Amino acid sequence: MTAIDISSVTKRYGSETALEGLDLTVHSGDIYGFLGPNGAGKSTTINLILDFIRPTAGEVSVFGLDATEDTLEIRERTGILPEGVETYNRLTGRKHVEFAIESKDADDDPDELLERVGIADAADKKAGGYSKGMTQRLMLATALVGEPDLLILDEPSTGLDPNGARQMREIIREENRRGATVFFSSHVLGQVEAVCDRVGILRDGRLIAEDTVEGLRETMPTQTRLRVQLDRIPDDAEGALEAVRSIDGVSEVQADGPSLLVTCEDSAKTTVLHTVEEYGVTVEDFTTDSSSLEDLFVAYTEGDADARGVAP
Amino acid sequence: MSAVTVAKKDFEDAVRSRKLMLLTAVFALFTLGGAYLAAEFGELFGEELGDGAQSTIELVLALQTSAGFLVPIIALVVGYKAIAGERESGSLKFLLGLPHTRRDVVVGKILGRSAVVAVSILIGFGVGFVGLLAFVGSVSIVDYLLFTLVTILFGVVYVCLGVGVSSLTKSTSRAAIGAFGIILFFWFLWSTLVQVALYLVEGEFFMEEFPEWYISLLSISPDAAYGSAIGAVFSDSSFTMADAYQYDVGELPLVAEPWFGFVILALWALLPLAIGLWAFGRADL
Repeated sequence: MTAIDISSVTKRYGSETALEGLDLTVHSGDIYGFLGPNGAGKSTTINLILDFIRPTAGEVSVFGLDATEDTLEIRERTGILPEGVETYNRLTGRKHVEFAIESKDADDDPDELLERVGIADAADKKAGGYSKGMTQRLMLATALVGEPDLLILDEPSTGLDPNGARQMREIIREENRRGATVFFSSHVLGQVEAVCDRVGILRDGRLIAEDTVEGLRETMPTQTRLRVQLDRIPDDAEGALEAVRSIDGVSEVQADGPSLLVTCEDSAKTTVLHTVEEYGVTVEDFTTDSSSLEDLFVAYTEGDADARGVAP
Repeated sequence: MSAVTVAKKDFEDAVRSRKLMLLTAVFALFTLGGAYLAAEFGELFGEELGDGAQSTIELVLALQTSAGFLVPIIALVVGYKAIAGERESGSLKFLLGLPHTRRDVVVGKILGRSAVVAVSILIGFGVGFVGLLAFVGSVSIVDYLLFTLVTILFGVVYVCLGVGVSSLTKSTSRAAIGAFGIILFFWFLWSTLVQVALYLVEGEFFMEEFPEWYISLLSISPDAAYGSAIGAVFSDSSFTMADAYQYDVGELPLVAEPWFGFVILALWALLPLAIGLWAFGRADL
């Protein structure tokens, strides 16, 4: 089953192209992380799914229904946390949730929902006095009304402190366990990495990668930085450096007193250690830092992605 | 029913506006003042004519003046931000994120804001009523209610104009300019243009007997239609354009007929509603 299907969608504003031939599929039951730097077109994509804007070309469907034609039916089954959403300043938090419940013809308890997002104590305060984080929590509460089949959250962690962001992830997981598909965008990878089944990376209006978190890790050339601490500088220091450099898979070697910093492929690590020891020194300690997904994200979204040959 | 849900929430939100409270207070002051003046002049006329019924009409005439210029202002102030304001702030995304169509939103806004204006008018005229009781002593309740109803209808027309303008733009300042433009157009520009047309056609500004088309055009504005509608309700021509130009009532053009005022009011409500629905329905938010 497909929850969201975007096929060859282009969106232009005048001469400016926000999205170019975007294809994206979110399967039912998935938590889909929609990643990309600010200005990549994430909100444009989400606004198209929500029918806040209409595509210049291509088709957007949700639950197999046309996003523009069948908005109402889609809305009834979807909970939404749009980007840049604002509350009604003169109405209380509870009033907002009650309005969502009435609109969705649901029978949720407003206080229970406010409790769940952690602003039960502010339920009777006017939303105009809420902080950005509280507004975000309130909007999440309204999105949860009526146990939607699909949750669409645009940068849900905006304005939340780390604890709030953690609660947000927890709620996303809970909703997913209940059976909801979750589609959320972020420009911060850490939020996506922890919860997503699938990740799509958008850059300059194009989807440049789409895979599971593990899958993305695998496509990344696995360069490792190996730091080797020796008991002393080898007598033939030059010869040692030259020997390490000539190992297959090593791309860079730097010496810093009795320590070496080697950039190499993961598989070359042991060869590096053995080779150094052949020069009559002892390896006291070594550390490796494998590329984090953060590096991966940066690698994908900065510079020339096509040259990396990972564009699907 | 979705539009009603939107309208209810919108009413609760908009009725809490400070600006509205202020305008309502000003309106109440004006009706009170109008009631006082009406009482003074009413006595004068009453003595002259020796006719109690006539004095109610005079009272209405006095109140109509303040309602005629304050109700459009209140309605436009209440209406111009209805949609543009929500687009600008982002609360529209909350509203449309729930199962409401764009049509529900426009219709709901008009219903909600109309209710707000109706409350404002009821308060203003309520105060006026108390004033009349105090200054005059007796008022025909039926006449007064009818007058109130027609005024609310007049307010609804301007709400439609305001919300219509509001649905065309995502900038509240542009919507404000639009609302101000509506006032300018109907209050000053319209009659000036018709006047210029008269000069171009007839070669003079003042005539013994004005041509039919001239009276018709002048009767088309919502404000003139409000006068016509009141005239129809009270079967008294002293509120209509035709009367202002001392037109012979026997051969009134259709558009200038008092009852036709209701038709014109309805058109001025439906036209902006239709434009608003069309434009907002296809807009990128």
